[in-house]
Amino acid sequence: MKYSAKTAIAVALTALLAGCGGQEETAQVQDTLVVAQGSDAKTLDPHATNDQPSSRVAAQIYSQLVTVDETMKIVPDLAVSWESVDANTTVFKLREGVKFHNGEELKASDVKFTLDRMVDSPTVAHIAGTIETVDVIDDYTVKITTSQPFGPLLYHLTHTASSILNEKAVTSSGDNYGQQPVGTGPYKFADWAAGDTISLTAHNDYYDGVQAVPNVKFRNIVEGTNRTIALETGEADIAYDIEPIDKETVKNHSNLQLLEGEALSVAYYGFNTTKPPFDNVKVRQAMGYAINSQDIIDAVVTGSGTATNSSISPRVFGYSPKGIQYQQDYEKARQLLTEAGYPNGFKTTLWTNDNPVRVQIAQVLQAQVREIGIDMSIEVVEWGAFLDGTSRGEHDTYILSWVTVTGDADYGLFPLFNSATHGSAGNRSFYTNEKMDELLETARSSVSQEERLALYEQVQVQLQEELPHLPIYVQVQNAGMKKNVKGFQLAPAGHHKLKGISFEG
Amino acid sequence: MSQQITADTLPEAVLEATRSAPKKRSQWLEVWQHLKRNKMAMFGLVILSLVVFAAVFADLIADYETVVIAQNLSDRLQGPSAQYWMGTDEFGRDIFARMIHGTRVSLMVGVLSVAIAIMIGGTLGAVAGYYGGRLDNIIMRVMDIFLAVPSILLAIAIVSALGANLINLMLAIAVSSIPSYARVVRASVLSLRDQEFIEAARAIGASDTRIIFRHIVPNALAPVIVQGALGVATAILSTAGLSFIGLGIQPPEPEWGAMLAGGRQYLRHAWHVTTFPGLAIMITILALNLLGDGLRDALDPRLKH
Repeated sequence: MKYSAKTAIAVALTALLAGCGGQEETAQVQDTLVVAQGSDAKTLDPHATNDQPSSRVAAQIYSQLVTVDETMKIVPDLAVSWESVDANTTVFKLREGVKFHNGEELKASDVKFTLDRMVDSPTVAHIAGTIETVDVIDDYTVKITTSQPFGPLLYHLTHTASSILNEKAVTSSGDNYGQQPVGTGPYKFADWAAGDTISLTAHNDYYDGVQAVPNVKFRNIVEGTNRTIALETGEADIAYDIEPIDKETVKNHSNLQLLEGEALSVAYYGFNTTKPPFDNVKVRQAMGYAINSQDIIDAVVTGSGTATNSSISPRVFGYSPKGIQYQQDYEKARQLLTEAGYPNGFKTTLWTNDNPVRVQIAQVLQAQVREIGIDMSIEVVEWGAFLDGTSRGEHDTYILSWVTVTGDADYGLFPLFNSATHGSAGNRSFYTNEKMDELLETARSSVSQEERLALYEQVQVQLQEELPHLPIYVQVQNAGMKKNVKGFQLAPAGHHKLKGISFEG
Repeated sequence: MSQQITADTLPEAVLEATRSAPKKRSQWLEVWQHLKRNKMAMFGLVILSLVVFAAVFADLIADYETVVIAQNLSDRLQGPSAQYWMGTDEFGRDIFARMIHGTRVSLMVGVLSVAIAIMIGGTLGAVAGYYGGRLDNIIMRVMDIFLAVPSILLAIAIVSALGANLINLMLAIAVSSIPSYARVVRASVLSLRDQEFIEAARAIGASDTRIIFRHIVPNALAPVIVQGALGVATAILSTAGLSFIGLGIQPPEPEWGAMLAGGRQYLRHAWHVTTFPGLAIMITILALNLLGDGLRDALDPRLKH
C-alpha cells in the first residue's frame, strides 16, 4: 500500500501540470537567458564526450580554429587565415590578443596541446581524422600535418570536439577539468548544479565584444511537455526540441515563436549484419520493403521530416539521391523473405533507448514488419546501456540517428560503414565490405572535391543496395522561444550558438 | 473449535465425514451473509465481476489481431465517438478495445503474483511462528531485510536483472510482497500455537506437519484472505507502475500502465488517451479495496473467538 501513495502523488502532479500554463510573466530588466534542453551535459571537457547535450553547452564556452556559418561555409574563428602548403600540410595564422577565461592569452602552444590531446582521446580521436603532428612555428602560427591527405580537415576542425583548450587550465585541473572548463568563447563557466542547471556568465575579454546578455542558464527539463510549459510560464526563454505534438501550441501562442530547420541528422533503422537472419542481404531488403517511412514521419513526428534514401542529409557535402528508394511493398518483401529461406518470417528484437520519439518509431516498425510475419519484440534500454549493448553487438536490430556534425560526408559515412570502426566508434551494424572500405578510404584522402563527390555517390548507391541500415528520414530540428529574444538561430549541426542574443522590450 | 479437538481423536474415515463439510459451509455462509449486508463491499464485488467478465470475454468484445494491436495511423488521437467509444491512441488503436484486453494482464499478474506470495510467504510465516526460536529469528530477520528495501524498488531490480516480460513481472511483484504475508501468517500462528486445541493435538501425537496444515493454517486463513484481496490491488498498481516506466508489459500488448505512459505526452491535446486507462486502474483498485475491507469486517468476528 506504500506504493499507492506514490501513484496518487504522480496522478496529482500530472493533473496539476495539465492545469497550469497560460500565465504571463512581466519581466523587468532581464539579465539572464534561460535555455531548456532535454538532458544535462555529461562533461564540459570536449575530448571526453561527443553527445549533443554536452556539445550544446560547450559551444558557448569554447571557440575553434575555424567555424561554419548558417550555410555551412567555413569562416575564420580563432584562426584568421590558413593556407595549404601541400596535400598533407596546412598552416594556420592565429588571431592575436585572444584571452582565455582564466586570463591567459591564446598561443600556438595551446593549439598544439589541444590537438595532441584530442588525437590521444579514444572518444574523439576519430574526429581528428588523420592528423599526425602539430608544430608550433611561432606564438601565432601552427602547422598541422596529416599522415595522408585529409579532404574534410577544415570541417573536422569546426566540431566542438576540436575546441581549443588552455594548456595550463587543463593540466592544473587534472581529472576535474570537465567540471571547470576554460575556453575562449563568449561565455565562461560559472556553476553546475548537476542534473539541474549549468550557469554561464559573459566573458569580458571575448575577442568579438562582450555579450549583451550577461548570464545564461542551461536548465535540464527532461519531459518535452514540461519544456513547452516552461516557455509558456516564462520559466525558460528558449526551449530546444519542442515535442511534435506541442509545436502548434508554441506557434499559436501570442508570446512565443517556433524555429524549425532541417538538421544534419538522419534517423535510421539498423541491422546487425553479423547475426542471422540479418547477415542475409535479402532479409535486409525485405525489411526495407516492409517499412513505410512516410507513416512514421506523419504519425510520430507529425510531418517534421523528409523520407530519404541516403544515410546523410541533403545539406551535407557529398549527398547523393541516387540510391534505391524503398517503397512499402509487402508482396515483394514476402518474396524476398521466401528467397532468403524464411517464408514464414522469424522472431527478432529491436533495440531503442528510452527517447519517446524512438519508442514510438519502434512500435510503428513492429506493426509494419508484423505484416510479413516477423515477430519483433521491442527492448527499451537506457541510453548508456543502449550504447554499450549495441557496441558489443548484443542487438538484432536497432534505431538510432547520426548527426553529420561537420557537414561533410566523411563524418557521416566513414564511422558508420567502415570495417575498422565496428562498435562504439559508430559501425553498430558491424557492416564489413572490402569495396566499401576502399571507397571510403579513397574518398577521405582525396583532395579533389569532384572526385570525392563521385566516390560518395558510389558509396550511397552501394549502401542502399546492401542496406546495413535503412535510412528512415532526415530530421527537422526545432526550438521554441519567447518573441522578445532576438538574434537566435538554429545551427544545422544542432549546437546552437547563443552568441549575439539580446532581449527586446 | 471443540469440534477440531475431537476430530483428531477419531479414525480418518469418520473424521472426513464429520469434520469440515457441514460445519465449514455454514461458516463461510455466515461470512457471506455478513458481507452481503455491506453495500460498499457488494459494490466492489459487482465492479470486480465486470472486470473479470471483460477479461474472460475480451476476445469476443474486440479481436486482438485486427483491433487491439493493429495500427491505424490516419485515425490517431481521435476523441471519443460512436466508432471509438473511448477514442484512439497515438497509433490510432481503439482505446476501449485495448482497455478491455488490458484487464487480462492486470488480473492475471494481480491474482497469480499474490497466490505465489501467499504460498511462499505463508509457509515461511507458519514455520517461523510454529517452531519459534532460532528458526523464527532467521526467517523473520531475512524477511526484515526484504522489508527494508522498498517493494517497488525490489521489483524494479528483479525485472531489470531478469528482463521485462510477464513471468518475470509476476515473480518480481510476488517476491517483493512475500514478507508481508509471512508476517501476517506468523502473527496468527503465534496466537494459535499455544491454544488448547493445538496442545491437545500435540498430546495425542499428531505430527508437526499435520498440526500446521490441518489445524493452524485453516484457522489463520482469515487475515490472509483480507491481506490477499488488498494485495491484489497493490499488485495491479505495481504492474501498472512498472509498465509505466517501461519495465512491465512490452508493446504492442495492451496494459493500463503502459497506455498511461504512451499518452502522457498528449495530455494537453488528447485527454482521453490517459484518462480512460487511469480510470480503469482507479476503479479496479477501489473495488478491490472495498471488497477487502468488507471481507475484513465479515471475517473479523471469527478472529475474536
